[in-house]
Amino acid sequence: MRLIIRDDPENVGTYIANYIAKRIIEFEPTPNKPFVLGLPTGSSPIPTYKALIQLVKDEKLSFKNVVTFNMDEYVGLPRDHSESYHTFMFREFFSHIDIPPAQVNILNGNAPDLIGECNAYEEKIKQYGGIELFLGGIGEDGHIAFNEPGSSLASRTRIKTLAYDTILANARFFNNDVSAVPRMALTVGVATVLESKEVVVVVTGQRKSLALSKAIEDGVNHLWTLSALQLHPWALIVVDEDATAELHVKTVKYFKSIERVQDEVERTQAELKAKGKSQQVGSME
Amino acid sequence: MASESPNGLICFTNCLLPQEDGSLVQKDLWIDERRGVILDAQRTFFLRKERPDKIIDLGGNILSPGFIDIQINGGYGFDFSVYDGDDQIYRDGMKLVAEKIIETGVTALVPTIITQEKSLYPKLLHLLRPYSAPNSAHLLGWHAEGPFLDLAKRGAHAPPFLLPATQGFKSFEDIYGLPNLADAEDWLMAGSVDEQSVGVRIVTAAPEIEGVMHAVGELSKRGVVFSIGHSIATTDVATMAVQNGARLITHLFNAMPQLHHRDPSIIGLLGASPHLSSPLYSAFSPFPTSTVNALRATIHAASVTRKVSSPGIVPHTSEAFDDTETPPQSPMLLATQSISQSRLHTQTRPHLQSLSLASSGSISPLPLNSESRQLSRGELHLDKGFVADLAFERPFYEMIVDGIHSHPNSVRLAYSAYPEGCILITDAMKILDPNLRDGIHEWRDGQRFVKEGDKLYLEGTTTLAGSVVTLDKCVRNFSRFTGCSLGEAIKCATFNPAKCLKIENKKGTLRAGADADLVVLDRGGNVMSTWIKGKVAWSRKA
Repeated sequence: MRLIIRDDPENVGTYIANYIAKRIIEFEPTPNKPFVLGLPTGSSPIPTYKALIQLVKDEKLSFKNVVTFNMDEYVGLPRDHSESYHTFMFREFFSHIDIPPAQVNILNGNAPDLIGECNAYEEKIKQYGGIELFLGGIGEDGHIAFNEPGSSLASRTRIKTLAYDTILANARFFNNDVSAVPRMALTVGVATVLESKEVVVVVTGQRKSLALSKAIEDGVNHLWTLSALQLHPWALIVVDEDATAELHVKTVKYFKSIERVQDEVERTQAELKAKGKSQQVGSME
Repeated sequence: MASESPNGLICFTNCLLPQEDGSLVQKDLWIDERRGVILDAQRTFFLRKERPDKIIDLGGNILSPGFIDIQINGGYGFDFSVYDGDDQIYRDGMKLVAEKIIETGVTALVPTIITQEKSLYPKLLHLLRPYSAPNSAHLLGWHAEGPFLDLAKRGAHAPPFLLPATQGFKSFEDIYGLPNLADAEDWLMAGSVDEQSVGVRIVTAAPEIEGVMHAVGELSKRGVVFSIGHSIATTDVATMAVQNGARLITHLFNAMPQLHHRDPSIIGLLGASPHLSSPLYSAFSPFPTSTVNALRATIHAASVTRKVSSPGIVPHTSEAFDDTETPPQSPMLLATQSISQSRLHTQTRPHLQSLSLASSGSISPLPLNSESRQLSRGELHLDKGFVADLAFERPFYEMIVDGIHSHPNSVRLAYSAYPEGCILITDAMKILDPNLRDGIHEWRDGQRFVKEGDKLYLEGTTTLAGSVVTLDKCVRNFSRFTGCSLGEAIKCATFNPAKCLKIENKKGTLRAGADADLVVLDRGGNVMSTWIKGKVAWSRKA
């Protein structure tokens, strides 16, 4: 696992956007071999989306050959509802980039057969050969997607009851009316995320600092589902200074030293690639 | 811009969209240029699985719904009120105005005809059925000002043509023609217009004129907008007209009594107080009851009396203007007059009252008894802010914001009182043409006028000859006069008129499914381009 620390959320967003852009461009996606990208909602990824949109506007990046899978969606909330994740994704990202609509996948929380919907989603991911890069965020309780504390770390896409913490936190989007917040969601499982080739997680803000510490400084624990990332061979967490508040100084220093090594290795690999002896770079730790 | 989008969808980006609350929001707008409608972008993306092939960068400009002018007498040399017996000439005139007016950002208008010789109405109103041509503004129907107007506030309307509506609604049918007043649906179906087209009808009349009050309800029921105008209605009468269904005031401040604090009359409707908004009666009466009753009788009698001094052709000066013979209404003045008159009328007063109610039929008579007062609320409330407890909706009101017909202070006063009701109009004469140079121009009957900016004088006089302001200029003026934002001013020329006409799902809005009639404005409110049904129809030459 790697941890990248940047000054503030904007710089975190720019870093991740550039990182994803690099991966997509190096992948050289085509209609037959699209780049498969997993995407989150929430406030943490917004700076990343903004930076990606700018790259597309500057014609440095295209999503023409990118297929996306979103992490989750509320159950029973109309697709057009202002708080649905369809609305979020369209408003914050898809409307501003050049992705063809047919290449966008979001779970349908209004499907008559919700379990069937979840299974079909997993199946569709498989048909594309799995997710190349899954971008994620976390909740204050360390949940990734809607995999609330206590979720099985082997879970797949399924119906999930939201934790009371999450319902309270989301009430602000529903006129502070707790009873209006959907109680259920469809979400990809922890295993679905872990199966993707690469995982990138955004963690910003002091309020997420405890979750970050639990996820990377303590052991793998289903009460902090992000900690499952410790089992992933190629994971990257990008945080701002505020989010490091609960980390040991030693942890921070260690990860900062990794960043330098990674840069060096990637440079070497790029040179090799230019000579035709390429291998995709994995995580260095 | 001329090339078609391969999939027929267009995305406008890098622009500010006026919202229905008057704000301007940076957002994209998706339209379908083939169907000529505004799209629900999100649905198009997720359900139709399409996104526009064509993206138009508006460079930070404003993309507004096209302006709607609900009172315009003509333009570019054509007068909607003049019919020479040749249908083709008239239709050509309609077409000309529709084609040209888009340079002022107007994409829909309601042609307005002033009081005519009565036999002309059925023909004229039939010619003014909804009309849409490519690259032209939509003519939505008609606005008939007159003939049921008050002589005292006739403006430029020809006195011999003014009429009472002795038989209530039937008088309206007799004048305008039965088919023209058909129920909204029948009226639209009867035309050859396509089923998507929207149509509107507006009647400006004075509710104090005999029989008019009794027609308000039926007109409204049939989908005709009743507008109070050219009237000296007292507060009670004006209020009752609104309670009966009137939803508009014609060119506020013009051709109506000035605001008097004890009888605020028509203008006072903007300030309609919840204290007095009971369904039946107002509780404010500064005069002795006997005087008021006498006054009512005399006002009514006076309003149906014709004192025709100059029959024949009356020059079409701005019909919104009062000629100077009309005294400003002062209730105190009238009250003193009425005291002397009431002595004369003591014996006949009951008779006059019954006369005024003769054609009442099923409609409640004008309230004459102050004992029937009801207050709308018994308790005071403790939450900060106003309570929306009016027993009726305040009417929309038109304003000509050319800086001449109403002082900027008056404009701001009205807007402050009731911003949601404000509608900008031009009330323009046939000489409206933004390209017309200043100087002396031929008019008619050997008369000439002098154009000086937005002012028009009869040659050799200081008599204003009408309005020639364009609606886009009214929007800019309005923002300056009131201090409101450009977005809020735009709302008064788009969403508010559409709402008044009950067509806010199709026009004057950027809602999904509405017609893609759009105007691009720079941040100074100047028209850059005009779009009709999803196609650019006019753009400013670089």
